[in-house]
Amino acid sequence: MTEILFVLAASVVFGIGVWGLLIAEHLLRKLLALNVMSSSVFIIMLVVAGGGPDGPDPVAQALILTGIVIAVAATAFALALMVSIYRKTGRASITEKGDDDR
Amino acid sequence: MDTAHLVDLLLAVGMVVLALQVVSERAVLRSIILFVVFGLVMALAWTRLQAPDLALAEAAIGAGVTGALMMMAWRRLLIINPDQPADTPRGRSRVAVPVALLAAALVATIGLSALNIDPHANGAGLIALDELTDTSLGNPVTGVLLLFRNLDTLLEMAVLLIALLGARAVSTPAHPNEAAVVETSAPLVGALLAILVPLSILIATHLLLAGTNEPGGAFQAGAVLAAGGVALVLTARLQPGERPGVVTQLAVTAGLLAFVGIGVGIMAFGEKLLVLPGTWAIYVIETAMMVSIGLTLALLFAGAPALVGRPK
Repeated sequence: MTEILFVLAASVVFGIGVWGLLIAEHLLRKLLALNVMSSSVFIIMLVVAGGGPDGPDPVAQALILTGIVIAVAATAFALALMVSIYRKTGRASITEKGDDDR
Repeated sequence: MDTAHLVDLLLAVGMVVLALQVVSERAVLRSIILFVVFGLVMALAWTRLQAPDLALAEAAIGAGVTGALMMMAWRRLLIINPDQPADTPRGRSRVAVPVALLAAALVATIGLSALNIDPHANGAGLIALDELTDTSLGNPVTGVLLLFRNLDTLLEMAVLLIALLGARAVSTPAHPNEAAVVETSAPLVGALLAILVPLSILIATHLLLAGTNEPGGAFQAGAVLAAGGVALVLTARLQPGERPGVVTQLAVTAGLLAFVGIGVGIMAFGEKLLVLPGTWAIYVIETAMMVSIGLTLALLFAGAPALVGRPK
């Protein structure tokens, strides 16, 4: 019951993240949407891995912990890229429209 | 429906509603704040799923550090161009809704069908739990991170270092508007820092030491340490420096160096690569990792290669 509920909720959150990623123009919003997506994947990973009476599968937990740290590292790098793009172009988006009117 | 299921339902609905608000909110700053709230609800969900290690990590790293990094990046954009529109336009995409629906359906299908697979009797998790009874580690997650899958953890430290180096490599000369954070002269800031910073060190050390037997560990501890650093950067007690000194370089690489040093050095004693010789090695490596994670995250937040004390 709990498992099914969390898998369904996480799937919806994943879909919302995909939607947000596609409609976002500002790079910061794209990063927010990506982070939302990664959170939902982590939830599904843990629920699907199952576990015993002592709690969920420790290997899944360790992998997700690694994932959370990698996600923040990648986000930090992406934010540095975004700031650099902004310093150079004055815009924080990389749309095709923007390429034309530069 | 009993209370536990009601809590689950509330958390599930909360996650969905907050996620929707994060991506649909037009004001960027509000979106970031909602993301932090989303992270905290995620932390509650981890608690309900009996994964307190992940709850701590999500609250400290997922919500806290990510939120702080995003707010700092947004602030940088505002400093470069104060006329930044607070609301960002939404792109028009005709495929967005169908693609999102398909993605959600796909993930739900995969997730629900994976739930029906019987847990394997020889699954990695069960083997790890079996093996852990021979060691003095009470926290199975720390055991997996440092004993059974420590190559993952080692490479994770490498990824963190590469992210820092990458962020430095892509950084262009700062915009003239981007002067250092103005030091606030508010009288209570000093008193606040006098409590917050020692507290962050205390909590980090507790999470580190408790992490071998209870929820916690180097990553959560490092994030809490980084929070102390962030407070010092925000109040200009620590300011961006030009060049990293030897201490900074050592601290940033300490986790990787300790891990590789012990993991490879052990081969001289006839052991296999990365077989840690005992609990002391775990403590040494975790302490080094905590310092590295804390400083790396603080440097990424400050967007600088080094942090220096304020000039006297």
